[in-house]
Amino acid sequence: MSVGTLFKHLAPFLACLGLLVVWQAASLVLHNDSFPTAIEAIRAIPSILGDKEALFNFAASLRRMAIGFGAAVVVSIPLGLLMGRSRHVASFFNPLLMVIYPVPKAALMPIIMMWLGVGDVAKTLVIFLGVSLPVIYHSFEGAKAVEEKMLWSGAAMGLSSLQRMIRIVLPAALPDILTGCRTGLVLALITMITSEMIARQSGAGNILFNALDMGQYDTVFAMIVVVGAMGIVFDALFEALRTRLVRWSEPPFEIPLSFS
Amino acid sequence: MNARPLISDLVLGLAPLALLAALWQALVSFGGVPVTLLPPPGQVFGRMLQQLLTLSFQQEIAATIFRLFAGFSIAVILGVSLGLAAAASPPINAVVRPIVRVLAPLPKVALYPALLLLVGFGHESKIVLVAADALFPILLSTYYGASIVEQKLIWSAMAAGTPPREILFRVVLPAAAPSILTGCRIGLVISCIVVFLAEMIASTDGLGHLLVMAARTFHAVDMFVPLITISLLGLILNGLLEAARSYLLRGFPEV
Repeated sequence: MSVGTLFKHLAPFLACLGLLVVWQAASLVLHNDSFPTAIEAIRAIPSILGDKEALFNFAASLRRMAIGFGAAVVVSIPLGLLMGRSRHVASFFNPLLMVIYPVPKAALMPIIMMWLGVGDVAKTLVIFLGVSLPVIYHSFEGAKAVEEKMLWSGAAMGLSSLQRMIRIVLPAALPDILTGCRTGLVLALITMITSEMIARQSGAGNILFNALDMGQYDTVFAMIVVVGAMGIVFDALFEALRTRLVRWSEPPFEIPLSFS
Repeated sequence: MNARPLISDLVLGLAPLALLAALWQALVSFGGVPVTLLPPPGQVFGRMLQQLLTLSFQQEIAATIFRLFAGFSIAVILGVSLGLAAAASPPINAVVRPIVRVLAPLPKVALYPALLLLVGFGHESKIVLVAADALFPILLSTYYGASIVEQKLIWSAMAAGTPPREILFRVVLPAAAPSILTGCRIGLVISCIVVFLAEMIASTDGLGHLLVMAARTFHAVDMFVPLITISLLGLILNGLLEAARSYLLRGFPEV
């Protein structure tokens, strides 16, 4: 069994390695000037990460992402929970959210830029908008599915509605909320990159798309590797946090269906 | 559900939209916001109606819709078949699972420069990006839906002598349908967003390109028109998917 668990822990790394090998093979076969091999791209990473200005860009990106994500979570979870518990609040906000949902948040960037300038405020606001919708949606679904009996028991034991919200609805909806936050985290990274691509002033997206415009293809691919690694690391960290918080509700889908 | 709560829900729901429009109008009329930054809503919607009747605007919409559907269809076909395969077969699961674990949280927009360099500036790069972004929600919810199918259903089908391949299509697929359709809904919204972004980054036509062009020339009215159009497009497609859902799931106890 220890070999099995070892494999389970190693599997994501093997998958990364496999993808890099496929990339290397593909670029060797295609032999295209604008498609460097995996090794060339990885070799370009240290020079990016060693550059002081690039690190400054990364720090700016991460700061915006953290502020946008944090603000979105703080606002969206209470709103989603309220929507899930109160029909009136839900029917008030639902159509508005449905209209906003398919609008690409990063596409608001040009308009927001006209109002707020190209600085941090515009980009953070766009990240905030991008993150808040999935978090609201999942908190809403989670709060809607809370068992009524638990709320009745809570009310019978004399909890006020605010206390019920915090002590019953919030923990019961936590698995859903965290799923929403996980989606939101990936979206924050995506919006961060796109907003920086549109308002090229600082940040990781700025490095990536400037390199593309200048034809520095190894930098382009190296940045893709770096940004991809950021996504994977954030997701893994969040997943670790999530399993700690909601271990009691592990979904039973670890076991594949059996046909025998 | 009777009619009264439905109507009051509708009124309640339209209230924030009306408030938003009123606030918008008030900002322009009394707030002293210059029209070049925030054109009044009447002007934006008038411009939109006028644009919708022109052939060139219709062509831009058609280009966007074509890319959206091509990418979304690829994502649905790949996502559902991979999800089912991963749920049904342990060896495939062992391969697909870690790859999905690595690729799903990757910000796909960052891959777009690579796609541009590899498959060119035409339709292909946008379709691939849309498919890549919409694939994972569909795949994950198919997998989830297929793996919580009750084992008893499968056993009964096997006892009735159904071959395994047929069980997959006649028992597991319908039982997983609600979850698959939820995934498709998320995938559809993501497709709308991504196709627009891809067109904004590098394109010569489509709604996203219209927005970028308007932004470069500081035509505020023309910036709002493609945004509202993509929002309407998302709403319409969402409505269609909802209709398809209630038709496909007509036998299910709760939808």
